[in-house]
Amino acid sequence: MDSITAAASVVAAGLAVGLGAIGPGIGQGSAAQGAVEGIARQPEAEGKIRGTLLLSFAFMESLTIYGLVVALVLLFANPFAG
Amino acid sequence: MASETVENCSSHDPLLDFDSSDSSSGVKSDEYLELQFRVFRLAFLLTIFSVGIAGFFWGIQVGASLFIGALSGIFYFRLLARGIGRLGTSSKIVGKVQLLVPVLLVLVSSRFPQLDLIPALLGFLLYKPALIIQFLSRP
Repeated sequence: MDSITAAASVVAAGLAVGLGAIGPGIGQGSAAQGAVEGIARQPEAEGKIRGTLLLSFAFMESLTIYGLVVALVLLFANPFAG
Repeated sequence: MASETVENCSSHDPLLDFDSSDSSSGVKSDEYLELQFRVFRLAFLLTIFSVGIAGFFWGIQVGASLFIGALSGIFYFRLLARGIGRLGTSSKIVGKVQLLVPVLLVLVSSRFPQLDLIPALLGFLLYKPALIIQFLSRP
């Protein structure tokens, strides 16, 4: 791998994780806030609220995972390294 | 005596004990635990089905990669569910430990030539159809 490709891959990996984590981070924070408030207001609905929170967290966090996977592939299994 | 030992082992393992997330506060959310069980069961069924199809059509290496990825996905989902179960009772934030699972999966897939990266990643994402099916079929 030449130095320009290596440098571009490292920068792209950082951008993929950094930018990819902004949106899910904000979303997870607000979702957790709403869930905890909901549980405090209606403790009898805790199971349903936690279940819905689990679904939303799983889908939000998968966006972070996509960025993470792209970054790791660029770093450890770079297809442009040939 | 032997049954006591088994009970003690299962109740102190935080990854296997589904009640461990809530036992610290004494709050038991049966509905949440049931949901987790249903999603895990569905994810295992999907894993067996997809590994069988992949192994039959694309060979045992792809099937093994898909299987390892699916197990990683289920483990990731278990860690995420445990973190959400603790939210509001013993923790104020949802931990990020579960993100180590895909990192390790990609690292292992890239280091070992016996594993393929793409099937492993697709297997990791098998918990999502299980979640979707579970929530669409929820009463």
